[in-house]
Amino acid sequence: MQPSLADVGLLLLSFIMPLLLVVLAMPRFNQYLVKLGRVADDVHKDPPTKVPFPVGPLLFLGALAGEIFAYFAFGSLVPLAVIGGAAIAFAIGLADDLFVLGGKTKPLLLLFAAVPLVVSAVFQKDLYESNLTFPLLGHIGEHFTIYVLLVFIAFPVVADAFNMMDSFNGQISGFALLTSLALLFGVVLHAIADPSFSLARVASVLPLVAIAVGFFVFNRYPSKAFDGDSGALMIGAMFASLAITGGVEIAAMIAIVPAILNSFYTLSSARGFVERRRMAARPTRLGEDGKMYASLEPSSPNTLIRLILLSGPLDERDLVKSILILTVVACLLSGAISILTWVF
Amino acid sequence: MKLVPLIGIEVAAFLLIIGETYLFFVAIVPLGPVPHSVAVYTAITLLKVGLTFGLGVLWLAVMVSLTRFYVRSRLRTRTPTSSS
Repeated sequence: MQPSLADVGLLLLSFIMPLLLVVLAMPRFNQYLVKLGRVADDVHKDPPTKVPFPVGPLLFLGALAGEIFAYFAFGSLVPLAVIGGAAIAFAIGLADDLFVLGGKTKPLLLLFAAVPLVVSAVFQKDLYESNLTFPLLGHIGEHFTIYVLLVFIAFPVVADAFNMMDSFNGQISGFALLTSLALLFGVVLHAIADPSFSLARVASVLPLVAIAVGFFVFNRYPSKAFDGDSGALMIGAMFASLAITGGVEIAAMIAIVPAILNSFYTLSSARGFVERRRMAARPTRLGEDGKMYASLEPSSPNTLIRLILLSGPLDERDLVKSILILTVVACLLSGAISILTWVF
Repeated sequence: MKLVPLIGIEVAAFLLIIGETYLFFVAIVPLGPVPHSVAVYTAITLLKVGLTFGLGVLWLAVMVSLTRFYVRSRLRTRTPTSSS
């Protein structure tokens, strides 16, 4: 695949447009949320500060603008399928932000986020391939039924995994930024290795990277905006769609290993899907010195945060740094997988 | 340095995910000849489900064991602080 100068320009616009939309509109959107009284307590500060919430709708608008532009620029259904799944996850998240859905309701509803992708594949046969490509070993052959089944399972798993990484200032935005860069790296290598690979697949990833960059500016410590479930679930659903349409499922799965581990720890210690607001015990607590401590309660969920804090208390900034270091390691492994898959 | 054990758990999770996914698609999904009877078909299907379940249990068992070992070793070395 050899992109022309015009293609490069269109790719750049797919990135810049959502980035500018998020960065320029965020201060005003925050003011609007404050005026509506939509603020959340930043419970890891003493005393808790008020942070505008949820900015998920603005992140969705940014992603929508980028994906629609990519659709018109490259004429493929890929961006529409991606934003369709994201829209459903966003709507579910927004309903949760406004009314609080049950712990089991969200994953069940998120199964529907796979529908736009699967339905779009009826109209565009090459939307995704029903097989996986392994590093060094190559394709494993078509497995249509089992692959479609896994596509449906992927959305609630990935979207919830992203949502569970949304606890501290800069955690979800930093995680989304690093993992989307790993995803982009894999998709670009795939595009270089495969001449039939459409540039629309690369263009579809750029709005996700853009909104992650823009959001990180406002969500990093000390946060000036919280995304809410509407933002986290939408980002997770976009990530799942893009991994499938980009044909980089394995590398994407590896990049989000910290989130997978975090979900596994939370679900196994809470014994199922429990809405975090209804958890009996918190995994961590804020000490009088402003540092986070691992809860020593036996009933506390064994989250990734608690495991990190078992080595000693940390302030919020260092805690998020630790999580992002684990994410960087996972993204490097993901990058190695992409290189072994598409270069060798 | 404090993160090294957790990075170890992460790498173990990575190796298991990639290895088990490969095994699932290469060994389990295409398992068995084209069945000519309902009994053989049922047996093969049950075997596939069982093997898939086994892969899941293996992942869980390794992760739970590693995490328990990590939590125990950390709690052993923890000293009470004024804030705890």
